[in-house]
Amino acid sequence: MSVAIKGEGITKLYAKRRALDGFDIEVPEYAITAILGPNGAGKSTFMRMLTGMVEPDAGTLTVLGERPSWQNNRRISYLPDRARWYQGHTVEKAIEWGARLLPEFRKDEAWELAGSLGLEADLETEGMSKGQEARLMLALCLAREVPLLILDEPFSGIDMLSREKIVAALIDSFSTRRQTVLICTHEIAETESLFDHAVFVNDGRTALAGSVEDLRAERGSMQDIYRRIYG
Amino acid sequence: MNEIRVGGMRFALDLSQPLYEQVLEQVRSSIAKGEIALGEKIPSVREMAQALKINPNTVMRAYQELERDQLTETRRGQGTFITTDADKVSHIRHRLAEEAVEEFLARMSSLGFTAEDIANILRAKGGEGR
Repeated sequence: MSVAIKGEGITKLYAKRRALDGFDIEVPEYAITAILGPNGAGKSTFMRMLTGMVEPDAGTLTVLGERPSWQNNRRISYLPDRARWYQGHTVEKAIEWGARLLPEFRKDEAWELAGSLGLEADLETEGMSKGQEARLMLALCLAREVPLLILDEPFSGIDMLSREKIVAALIDSFSTRRQTVLICTHEIAETESLFDHAVFVNDGRTALAGSVEDLRAERGSMQDIYRRIYG
Repeated sequence: MNEIRVGGMRFALDLSQPLYEQVLEQVRSSIAKGEIALGEKIPSVREMAQALKINPNTVMRAYQELERDQLTETRRGQGTFITTDADKVSHIRHRLAEEAVEEFLARMSSLGFTAEDIANILRAKGGEGR
């Protein structure tokens, strides 16, 4: 098993709080890995480190064999936890924008994805529901032919149908492309069947990590494990 | 656990057990029961993953195991098909029957029945024409 992301002893302090406290992680290549844990466990801080938005105070981190940097970010497709759009944009304009600015962006794939995610070309970004926003962001992310896809809370606060469409799009994309996928989420009920590998984060450290199938055989479902760790 | 139908096959997945083993066992038993016929095409990895809402790697692993047991064969560019060899199917039927009997015997013995008791009960049931 090759490793796409490796972190050792990562520590990050904010004012008085330790967001990460000696966090260790290995994300295997060409698999879907989930970082699981409640809000405040340190997940988002780690996610921001992957693209260099936050620097660790101590420890080492390599992403696709390199230290995080803006150059390295060309090889990463990142779905942020909040959407930001240009004023007056539509689905069509957002795809045009992606084609101009995002590295390795495949415009024809973006249109195909927008179609299967149920987004009309003239739908305006202003006034979109949270589910529509998440679907459009996902279409832009999945349209990039890059080795690493990172999804920060792709399922939180969106309607059931959007969620189902997102899951379907992820399965399709992962069936056809050799890509490493990292998903950070606290919603595991409908998504745990997608994961190959899971990392449970608690108080800034890894509480448990491993192959999801092995964890199922030894300890039960990810939901059961989650309840045992955090309940 | 919801039952999901894919082609003629039925699946019910339990997230507290390894999914790959369940997919494998459930395809095997579909073949044994004849829910899917000899030589019939089975859904692609992508279609199966999509229908079951699971990771394509999990489906792939189950399919590889089926192929190793020669229950399926992949024809290049055409997809994966159930074997046309009826002996292979009767072999799994036999194996599944043995597993079912072993489970039954283990349960009866845990309830304290001897081999003779079990034989008598089976005979009595058989006498009712089942």
